[in-house]
Amino acid sequence: MNPVLTMDSATLSPIHLFLQADWVVKGVMIGLLLASIWTWALIVAFWRRIGKTRKGMTRFERDFWKAEDIDVFYKAEGENDLPSARVFAAGVTEWRRSTAGGTIDKSGTRERLATTMGAAVAGEIDKLSDRLNVLATVGSVAPFVGLFGTVWGIMRSFTSIAAAQNTSLAVVAPGIAEALFATAIGLFAAIPAVIAYNRFSHGINRIEASLNRFADGFHTTLSRQLDGSR
Amino acid sequence: MDRSEKIGLGVAVVGHVLLFGALSLGFLGAPELPKKIEQQPIDVSLVPDVALEATAPQSVETPAESVAPDEGAPEDAAPPAPEEAEPEPKPDPVPPAPQPKPAPPKPVPKPQPAPEPKPQPKPKPAPPKPVAKTAPVPKPVVKPQPKAEKAPPAKAAPAKSAPTKAAAKPSATPAKASSSASSAKPAKPSSTKGSGSTAEAKTSRPHGSRLGDNFLKGLSADPSPSKSEAPKAAKLGAQAAANIGSAILRQVQPCANRQVTPGPGAERIRVTINLKLNRDGTLKSRPTISGHAGVDDDNRRYVDRVDDLAIATFVGCSPLRGLPDDLYDVQNGWSNFSLRYKLPG
Repeated sequence: MNPVLTMDSATLSPIHLFLQADWVVKGVMIGLLLASIWTWALIVAFWRRIGKTRKGMTRFERDFWKAEDIDVFYKAEGENDLPSARVFAAGVTEWRRSTAGGTIDKSGTRERLATTMGAAVAGEIDKLSDRLNVLATVGSVAPFVGLFGTVWGIMRSFTSIAAAQNTSLAVVAPGIAEALFATAIGLFAAIPAVIAYNRFSHGINRIEASLNRFADGFHTTLSRQLDGSR
Repeated sequence: MDRSEKIGLGVAVVGHVLLFGALSLGFLGAPELPKKIEQQPIDVSLVPDVALEATAPQSVETPAESVAPDEGAPEDAAPPAPEEAEPEPKPDPVPPAPQPKPAPPKPVPKPQPAPEPKPQPKPKPAPPKPVAKTAPVPKPVVKPQPKAEKAPPAKAAPAKSAPTKAAAKPSATPAKASSSASSAKPAKPSSTKGSGSTAEAKTSRPHGSRLGDNFLKGLSADPSPSKSEAPKAAKLGAQAAANIGSAILRQVQPCANRQVTPGPGAERIRVTINLKLNRDGTLKSRPTISGHAGVDDDNRRYVDRVDDLAIATFVGCSPLRGLPDDLYDVQNGWSNFSLRYKLPG
């Protein structure tokens, strides 16, 4: 390991900084780079999924409240992949099971309907928010990992100062630059992750709220049907 | 991993590759740096002997006497030790034959002292004692034997001076008593009595009157040396050396200004020049160059030229004036002075 590293403007490019770094710092950099890539992949995926979900739900609920006959609507939309469609399907399935017999226990049916649809809402939200924790983890841990790489790299450059018996900036600067590069990558991964986590958890909360509203509305409709049917 | 995640992964990978590619190509590179930062050398003069030693010796003042001088019989004050009273006679025979026998001391080491009584007595340092004159007669042959083993090595030099000293000095005091006490009584009868008076010698006791320790405190029989006297420095201190160096450089500045710099970078060469000076400031010999500093690839070829110019500078303004005379021949003084010099510019 040559303690005296040559310094010109080209060495400030990320590739050179990476190649000059210690293997620990290299490992930190690679890990953070992968984290960053995965973060952005999740960001894109969530963006698409949440946007599509919300748009589909809006359309589905509009169609639902316009529908004349629930059974007909269920035939048309029952196989839909939207969360609200799943909640709707769960409610309809439970309704059919509860009303299949001769005698109908009204309060028991209401309770079952509420439970079933609540469970369906929770399941859909779980599915939606899957991997959101990855963003949270990257957002909180990446700066520390980068800081670790920086501390390690700075320790190494101090060692090279000691080895070269020379404190001139030309000896110190490359090591510190490559060390700071680790923190830069850590922040580069963490900042979008934190922003995306907050943004998407907010979006999922809104989806959950609207799903609950839809479930409550559907439950109300079924409950009224239960009273009117007898 | 569903479809949207795959799409997201692809987008992220492509985006990172593009971003780091752009960074590597210098798209967002560091702002232009000056190609080479000009580093101005700073002259640091190292003083080699910082805090070497005190530049002035400590003046020692004789402490005041705590025992008053004895006014009694002079013999009492400085008694010769009983043991020494007897040996004294031995040296006596020596004085007559000091010069003729410088060679004999070598054979002396032999264990048998008996055959050669004469050579052995010489080595004894005692001869200077005044007793020698008065009592040369006593056993010259018998006593020398014990001495032979004692001091075989040749003492030619002391032996020669011995007789003259002995003649000049009347005081017979080998006494161990305090020097002031002994000096107080120059006139001593003991010299005449010499070795024979063992009885009196045995009574030796300082008979000074015992007074309180603070009696005459601060006073002494001898005049105390004045403190205002500036003692001569034992060594040239670092500060004084720096002062002398700058004084010399100041005086050669006119000559230095006349020199033509041989080339760019030559002014970075610092030569260590050694001056051998006479007391009047003239050069004892041509200055010599004992070292270089600040030589690099740019100015290496000017080194010889700079040496010549430096020597010419000091020769040209050579009678150096106003250097402190008292620091001429002390240790590290300016009789042989090294200093660093560089061409002006």
